Amino acid sequence: MKLGIGGKNKQEQEALLRLAAIVESADDAIIGEKLDGTIISWNQGAERIYGYSADEIIGKPISILIEPDRTEEIPKILDGIKRGQKIDHYETVRVGKDGKKINISLTVSPIKDASDKVIGASTIARDITERKRMEEELKKTMAELERSNAELERFAYVASHDLQEPLRMVSSYTQLLEKRYKDKLDADANDFINFTVDGAKRMQQLINDLLAYSRVGTRGKPFELTDCEAVFEAAVANLDMAIKENKAKMTHDPLPTVMADEGQLVEVFQNLIGNAIKFRGKQPPRVHISAQPDKDKWVFSVKDNGIGIEPQYFDRIFIIFQRLHSEVPGTGAGLAIIKRIVERHGGRIWIESQLGKGSTFYFTMPMKGEKSS
Amino acid sequence: MTSGKTGGPIEILLVEDNPGDVRLTHEALKDGKILNKLHVIKDGVEAMAFLRQEGKYANAIRPDLILLDLNLPKKDGREVLAEIKSDSYLKRIPVVILTVSKLEEDIIKTYDLHANCYITKPIDLDRFIAVVRAIEDFWLAIVKLPPRALKRK
Repeated sequence: MKLGIGGKNKQEQEALLRLAAIVESADDAIIGEKLDGTIISWNQGAERIYGYSADEIIGKPISILIEPDRTEEIPKILDGIKRGQKIDHYETVRVGKDGKKINISLTVSPIKDASDKVIGASTIARDITERKRMEEELKKTMAELERSNAELERFAYVASHDLQEPLRMVSSYTQLLEKRYKDKLDADANDFINFTVDGAKRMQQLINDLLAYSRVGTRGKPFELTDCEAVFEAAVANLDMAIKENKAKMTHDPLPTVMADEGQLVEVFQNLIGNAIKFRGKQPPRVHISAQPDKDKWVFSVKDNGIGIEPQYFDRIFIIFQRLHSEVPGTGAGLAIIKRIVERHGGRIWIESQLGKGSTFYFTMPMKGEKSS
Repeated sequence: MTSGKTGGPIEILLVEDNPGDVRLTHEALKDGKILNKLHVIKDGVEAMAFLRQEGKYANAIRPDLILLDLNLPKKDGREVLAEIKSDSYLKRIPVVILTVSKLEEDIIKTYDLHANCYITKPIDLDRFIAVVRAIEDFWLAIVKLPPRALKRK
């Protein structure tokens, strides 16, 4: 801002008046001060924020607005101003007339005369108390959410862990019963034993899956640079038997390197490829994996020629223990687990499919690794 | 049936609080190849009293093998293991951890405490029996153990 000296024509005067009106009606505090910190102008915004009227404060030092433990801020700011430096959106605390602390964002600019000499400073202060309060509240809510999430994971973990023991008893002793008394019992009794053993085994699987689901967050490793080609190879190696048995053909485009928990990413690939084989059609399974850049993320796709899924089930398949095919073995936890993994990495997962025409699962991974949760 | 290295039966200490597991272990060892005697203790404090021949265990035998569960009342298996492995009279006794936990941190922690091996109890009965037999076979027939120390110094 430059101040012209004297000799203004009418147009210039009108422009100045308009400017003064704008300054006066601004929501922000706009304060002029000399290089020694003496206040020389004070708008209504400043009065609203700090509580002092212009009459009260003009001529007083700016340090009147400052807490005792922050007084060193003023000379620092003014030193910069003297050298022609501007201060942008500096967040600090000031004290109002009533002694209340006010969070403000400061922009301080040098005021120069016609010869470009710095003769003072203009300060624009925005009251950010409300914003700060919201931020604090958000922080608190986040902490609370994190705590309750951790508690929930801990709960699921303990529950599933402690459930194993009695289940082992049911299963073991039913099997022992079968072993010892098989010949002494009739066909009904043998059926009952089989149902009990099967039930216990299924319960065991459910508990294990619940455990795996709850551990995605708590037992995850920090993200590191991960080569998705290697991840693909590992997943395929783990599925070797199923691939050979089904004569499945695996192909893939070049795959990128991302920031990820490698073990978890292998799980994602393995689950999606495994599903593509498990839910195969009459033709031998063909699975193609690719990754396309999309702005700040990679969109991975796993495309198969399997039985496909009707659109009304697209959301349901990602919910834990929801299954569509009772004749296919499994508990229905796989997609729920990998959804959590993808989300932990800051991505999302979805499916496009037509019944009888195969499915394509998509998931995204941020290009720049975000910090591990 | 073979007998223990000094003529008597092999003495096994099972530290396990679940009676179902105790019985299963009994069942598995009953028809084993090696003549053995199973001593059962149900919590960590009692286990240490047994091993240190304190109180009512003054005449307890020093076992040839310890099967130790991790989650025990009063004093948990990790503490029992740490005490055994820092006691010069007891530390040569092989300790087999037999637990439901598959947790990586439990596995690492117990090996750090010098457990001799770590086994997760299988849910399947036949596999459980196979595991107990394998423990018996390996630790009592294949492995060469140090001679029995007769007295605590």
